[in-house]
Amino acid sequence: MTVGLNAFILVAGLLFAVGLLGVLLRQNTLVIYMSLELMLNAVNLALVAFSRYNGTMDGNLFVFFIITVAAAEVAVGLAIIVALFRRRQSVMVDHLNALSR
Amino acid sequence: MTATQTLLAALLTPLLTAALIACFLRRRGVLASYLSVAAAAGICAFSFMAIRSADGETIRAAADWLKFGNFSVSMGFLFDGVAATMLTMVAFVGFLIHVFSLGYMAEDKARGRFFGGLSIFMFSMLGIVLADNLIMIFVFWELVGFSSYMLIGHYLDTDEAAAASKKAFIVNRIGDLGFLVGIVYAYWHFGTTNLEAMASAVAIDPGLITASIAALLMCGFIGKSAQFPLHVWLPDAMAGPTPVSALIHAATMVAAGVYFLIRIAFLFPSDVLTFIAWLGTAVAVFAGFSAYGQNDIKKILAYSTLSQLGYMSAAFGLGYPGIALFHLVTHAFFKALLFLGAGSVIHGCHHEQDIFKMGGLFKKMPVTAITFLIGVLALCGVYGLAGFYSKDAILIAGGLQSTPIFVLLTLGAFLTAGYMGRLFWIAFLGQPKSDAASHAHESGVSMVLPLVVLAVLSVVGGWIGFWPEQLGEIIRADLGHLHHAEGHDAMHHTVLILGSAAWLVGLVGSFLFYGVGAKGDALENKAKPVYEFLKARLWFDEIYGFYVAKIQQRVAVLLSFLDVFLIKGVFVRGSAGLVGLVGMCSRSLHVGNIHGYVYWFLAGFLLLWALAAGVL
Repeated sequence: MTVGLNAFILVAGLLFAVGLLGVLLRQNTLVIYMSLELMLNAVNLALVAFSRYNGTMDGNLFVFFIITVAAAEVAVGLAIIVALFRRRQSVMVDHLNALSR
Repeated sequence: MTATQTLLAALLTPLLTAALIACFLRRRGVLASYLSVAAAAGICAFSFMAIRSADGETIRAAADWLKFGNFSVSMGFLFDGVAATMLTMVAFVGFLIHVFSLGYMAEDKARGRFFGGLSIFMFSMLGIVLADNLIMIFVFWELVGFSSYMLIGHYLDTDEAAAASKKAFIVNRIGDLGFLVGIVYAYWHFGTTNLEAMASAVAIDPGLITASIAALLMCGFIGKSAQFPLHVWLPDAMAGPTPVSALIHAATMVAAGVYFLIRIAFLFPSDVLTFIAWLGTAVAVFAGFSAYGQNDIKKILAYSTLSQLGYMSAAFGLGYPGIALFHLVTHAFFKALLFLGAGSVIHGCHHEQDIFKMGGLFKKMPVTAITFLIGVLALCGVYGLAGFYSKDAILIAGGLQSTPIFVLLTLGAFLTAGYMGRLFWIAFLGQPKSDAASHAHESGVSMVLPLVVLAVLSVVGGWIGFWPEQLGEIIRADLGHLHHAEGHDAMHHTVLILGSAAWLVGLVGSFLFYGVGAKGDALENKAKPVYEFLKARLWFDEIYGFYVAKIQQRVAVLLSFLDVFLIKGVFVRGSAGLVGLVGMCSRSLHVGNIHGYVYWFLAGFLLLWALAAGVL
């Protein structure tokens, strides 16, 4: 049995929506971060599906880049969050409003 | 030393002295005064050396001072007969006045400032005398303006001196505006401001002479030589110390205007010359009348100076610059003598300047009185004294060219003798009329000596044979020119009779009318309206006061409103307010909550998408 392109797009869209809503609604920086990763992976899924459907390697190529960038971003981002927690003993977004004061 | 080096030394000696006094000697008045007098003697010596080594040749030397691309300003000397004559006069009279100041200012607290001022004045004045181009003349012109301002305001704790110095400075700036525009115009017109280059350009093509350049440059003369309508500053300038009045406001600086005209005489077309002749004649008569309304000995002399400057410009306007220079030099001798004599009197009477509070000084101050009398006679044009030769030459020139000018100038001669007689009879004869006058005493030797020397010069200065050949060339040339003019002999007799009648009638008339050593002004007692009219000086100060207070002030208020409301309010504050408003609005978007920024990001993303997709 083969799964059609539409199913992949649907799953990718759902994953992206979950990620976006997570970014918009969650308070914990760590969770927001995970949601961001989820959005990136939703895009990856869509790209792989398109690549398979078209029979070219273009999409796959982009995916490798995105994975690499995401890995680097995680390394930096998690380090920032850890440093933030050390300083403020909190990673909740509504406590991190120093700019408006 | 070559002549150029000597001239440079003469020019820089007073500058160096002034710098030394300003930097080190401001609190050491005695040292400063001797240094300044030594510098004046040095100028004198260098000037005579320069004249000897020049030996009648014209000396030219110039160096670039500023260079902007094609335009360059040079500083240089043009030392010809006119400059040599003026240099000798300035250096010698300046030296005598420096010596006089030693005695006159002996008790002054701020002698360092005073003598430093005299030195910087000598530097500036020599700069004008030697300058070879209009821009250099203008630079030194402003410097004499500054030193005049500084020295008029010497007694800076009196309101009168402070106001007079400001008045002199501001009124002179009005004339200098015209002068400056004239220089720019001349540069545009001739491509140079060098005097000799302009003279040769004009000699090749007389069509280059334009009335507007001449008229604009004349504005500088009107301001500096205190001619109508900018004459109002000179009588007020008498608030300065008396040696300053003698040096700056009688002998040299005010005459610099006339000297400047003589230097640029080749630029003047005949209609501007006629205007100058009439202007000078009008000032000569007007100032002569005004002198009758004054009781202050120095103000009477100031009006006399105005009147004599009028004679000089009349001579220039009649086409005889040499005779104007002649009268300038003789006038410098006897007017410096009169002012120094007045200074000696004021010093002897403990700073009493009202002639009706003097009297009886002839016995108490014999040397001052006799030298003063010589000055009076020279000014009135008594036969054989300096004033006779120069004034008669002017009257002859007037008589040959224009009868109305001749009549007015002769009237001026009558007036001169009258007010000088009034001054002399009342102040020097009769009985002392105040404590100060009854305790008067003859001044010290440093003050009397310059008086005697100047008195000798006032007697012999008019004999043309007295002048060395290389000095008097332009004077000699113009006198010869006048001598050979048609109708000279007849006119000479007329002038001789009228001129002698003038001083006789004036002196005897004032003797009979005012009386010896009178206590009150006879004119004021007998014909008060006439006296009040003369005292009002044609209400020039009132008219200018009205103009400044009522008209100029209103315009200034209007401009100030425009400045405050439009420029400051609308443009400057308005633009700042606008930017501030934008800042306030954008600050409210800055919520500090990360979710807020995410929504803004989304909104911006949607906007971009909508634009890219063509929805909006």
